[in-house]
Amino acid sequence: MISYIWHYFYSNYFRFWLKWVLRQISGKCELQRICDGTKDGASRTHRIEYSLEHSKCKVLRCAINISEEEADQYLANIVKEKKINLEKDKRFEINLRICLLQISGYKKLYLDVEELRKQSFDSNNNYHEQQLLELWDLLMPHEKLNNRVTKQWGDVGFQGDDPKTDFRGMGMLGLANLLYFSKHYTEEARLILSHSNHPKLGYSYAIVGINLTEMAYSLLKSGALKFHFYNTVPEFPQMKSFHQLYCYLVYEFDKFWFKEEPESIMQFNQYREKFHDQIKHLLSNERVALTL
Amino acid sequence: MGLLSILRKLKSAPDQEVRILLLGLDNAGKTTLLKQLASEDISHITPTQGFNIKSVQSQGFKLNVWDIGGQRKIRPYWRNYFENTDVLIYVIDSADRKRFEETGQELAELLDEEKLSGVPVLIFANKQDLLTAAPASEIAEGLNLHTIRDRVWQIQSCSALTGEGVQDGMNWVCKNVNAKKK
Repeated sequence: MISYIWHYFYSNYFRFWLKWVLRQISGKCELQRICDGTKDGASRTHRIEYSLEHSKCKVLRCAINISEEEADQYLANIVKEKKINLEKDKRFEINLRICLLQISGYKKLYLDVEELRKQSFDSNNNYHEQQLLELWDLLMPHEKLNNRVTKQWGDVGFQGDDPKTDFRGMGMLGLANLLYFSKHYTEEARLILSHSNHPKLGYSYAIVGINLTEMAYSLLKSGALKFHFYNTVPEFPQMKSFHQLYCYLVYEFDKFWFKEEPESIMQFNQYREKFHDQIKHLLSNERVALTL
Repeated sequence: MGLLSILRKLKSAPDQEVRILLLGLDNAGKTTLLKQLASEDISHITPTQGFNIKSVQSQGFKLNVWDIGGQRKIRPYWRNYFENTDVLIYVIDSADRKRFEETGQELAELLDEEKLSGVPVLIFANKQDLLTAAPASEIAEGLNLHTIRDRVWQIQSCSALTGEGVQDGMNWVCKNVNAKKK
């Protein structure tokens, strides 16, 4: 209760006066002070984001949801609004620009990911079919598919003889992630596929992959990936950045699974939760950078 | 008896716990049904590795619903969940005509299981929202359901996606919880 009252007074009154006093002493606005006092990455971008979000000034509040092309315009607006002397603070413009791109980029990345997720796998779409077959060729270079609908799909961990029903709520996002990992980390993908065929500790490679896509997606949606992206992508993040995070999850989950030695695949959801908690813990650290 | 002790008694009278087993082929819609029962978001569902479990309060019962993955590879594990089942719910994708034979076979095997003998069975003819879905009557005939004589059974058409028919099925479940033939 006390902390709630304190927070109320702080964010509505004290913060404003504190900022005014600091501005008079240092001759710099809050955004400049943050850029001066922090290293690049999440510690800076996160504070800048908070400062912009809670600003009394509309120009600043709007700067957290812009397109990549608008960045320079908004940057100029902020400099003008806050009467910042760029001659005296040369790094400021470069630093704030990166922050603006990262803050809005995260929101845009979520929209892009969501759009791909909403696209269902469609057998009548040549491009979709092509990607599915490419996945097979990358994972199973020495074996040809006998048919488009075949039990062989089970060998790469789909449930039945036609993978199209397995993408479900993850849509084309699930396939795009599976394909990205196989394409850019081919050796690792084949190694993990061979692990997944372990007689006792085995799991369904593709299905678990789709489940991990769901994990990456829900982390992104909740905002839990902010620190990670602010630390690893010093620009407007692209879909590639999301795929990279998926690759990390697949690689680490495989290690985790074999270390834990679950009784059988039926325990998957318990271990998935445990793994999820570990990842969330890592992501709560401001210095986090989850890379392969 | 004082008012307080009556209140205490009311409060301590727990709902009867019911164990419900949700089975069916992969992509039948078991997890969607489970989430629909628990009033959860159904737009991010992924194939089930292993199982999901949720408890739902309904009509004075605490329904513990076990949703087990339907992939062929993990069907051998189904039997690990048979013990103490009060009601079996078997879910069928009514639009997947190519696999009617396979799903019929799996159901027949379940009904032959000793640990499930006498357990009431509700068959959900799911995905009725799809134009290509077979009506429940056609499925009942195709699966020879009328030959089931050792237990109470019911077939209910539904759409786990829209929720239509789901509550009707669950009403039947609650009515027949204690109908298990010893």
